[in-house]
Amino acid sequence: MVKNVQAPLTPAVLHILLALATEVRHGYGIMKQVESDSQGKVRMGPGTLYGSLGRMLEAGLIREREKRVDPELDDERRIYYGISALGRTTLAAELQRYRDVLAVARRSAHARSGFVHGT
Amino acid sequence: MAPEPSLQRSRAWYARLLRLYPTQFRERFGEGMEQTFADSCRRRRTAGMGLFGFVIWVFAETFTAIIREHVTRLRTNAMRDDIRFLKTVKYAATAVGVLLVAGILTLMVLARGRTGDDGDIAGVVAPALLLTCVSGVVAVVAAVRQKRAQRRLLHP
Repeated sequence: MVKNVQAPLTPAVLHILLALATEVRHGYGIMKQVESDSQGKVRMGPGTLYGSLGRMLEAGLIREREKRVDPELDDERRIYYGISALGRTTLAAELQRYRDVLAVARRSAHARSGFVHGT
Repeated sequence: MAPEPSLQRSRAWYARLLRLYPTQFRERFGEGMEQTFADSCRRRRTAGMGLFGFVIWVFAETFTAIIREHVTRLRTNAMRDDIRFLKTVKYAATAVGVLLVAGILTLMVLARGRTGDDGDIAGVVAPALLLTCVSGVVAVVAAVRQKRAQRRLLHP
């Protein structure tokens, strides 16, 4: 069932969506990608990761894909997760929201500096 | 290649910690969480980083997540109970309203053409109409509150 998702997204959900935007990944793959995307600033443990994955699956933002072996790790089969169409739309909307906020901040900074220079 | 004993031990302890999760959550994500934990430990070992601090951090983080999951589950169950109750109230009030309207119409049909005390149904119809209005209001309020509760359940 697809449910509506309310913006803004939590940082964990946003990072997971960004990590899955390029390819399907298993839990550890998502953790690694989030760490690399944020240059080590966002540290997500399995508790936060799988709690968020559960809520995102329920909201229809991501989907469970096949269970397979990751040749870079060991011979254990892992569940892979992929972003859904709703997930892509939600991510795009969230990124647009960030752009809008940034534009407001820039305009406000510009106006402030203009005011300072004008006095 | 067999994993080293300290990694195996940490994984076994982590698996024990995961038993504290609600059953449904554990059955769905337990295996993945265990694998993710083992993969992270293995990577730290390979990179020559210490394991002790990391294991403590993951255990604390997972324990917090377990508490959060239980609280969420309790809240969700309470909300589901509320929704079920409001649904019952809504349908019951609607049914009472419909029955009253049917009763009033029947009375009006039966009283048609009668005169005097036989034809005076105002004493019965007036309270019945009032009760119908009350039922309608109750049904509407229950429906609105049910919808709100459902929205809260979807967007906690």
